[in-house]
Amino acid sequence: MNGDYMAKTSTALVVADAGPLIHLDELAALDVLSDYAAVLVPNAVWLEVQHHRPQALQQAKVKLIRQPSPPASDRVNAMTALYTLHHGEREALALCVTHSVNLLITDDTAARLAAKSLNITAHGTLGLLIRAVRQQLRTPSEVVALLAAIPQQTSLHIRPSLLIDVIARVKAEWASEL
Amino acid sequence: MNSTHHTEIPDQLWQQAQTLVQQGWAGNLQEIVTEALRRYLESHQQVLTETFIQEDVEWGLHGED
Repeated sequence: MNGDYMAKTSTALVVADAGPLIHLDELAALDVLSDYAAVLVPNAVWLEVQHHRPQALQQAKVKLIRQPSPPASDRVNAMTALYTLHHGEREALALCVTHSVNLLITDDTAARLAAKSLNITAHGTLGLLIRAVRQQLRTPSEVVALLAAIPQQTSLHIRPSLLIDVIARVKAEWASEL
Repeated sequence: MNSTHHTEIPDQLWQQAQTLVQQGWAGNLQEIVTEALRRYLESHQQVLTETFIQEDVEWGLHGED
């Protein structure tokens, strides 16, 4: 990490689905969540991550808080059925609603559609990585390297030419710092 | 036109699907697999996924939170 960068802190809470926790840990980049006051992890998501990537739950830099399964409203249940969401995604949406958290981190397209229908903002691994530059948690060159490593190092699937476009946009944005 | 494919499915999911068939909630396992695949493809259309990624990039670059 470049010494010129001093991380900003945030008081915001976010709710996490399993995908970004797993993918960021695969990149050894879970610390891009470290400026959030806390990352709420519903029980079903916690169990999913524990099964697939247990080490992601043991990061000291990120305040992951396991939350008991929240009650789901009729609207959340309707979205779950409509988009055939998993337990973890349903619990993540329900947690956003019950705790009035307006940011869900997920890489699942259907979960993002459901979030949109519930007026919940949703972002995924790529957005979080790029945001890390803006939040001064990572340098532009570090983030470019992390983005480029996604196909080899992670289980996140993205069309290669789209990833190339994304990297080009990041490079153009911070061209003077690369 | 249909074709035959081989894939691995977790035991628990397969057993749940078999139970649905046995109880009469679905005609057969093929019906369930086809319906599950159709629903997944509907909610994970490429254009949606790419739109969300572009939104992510924009938020990452210029968002305020």
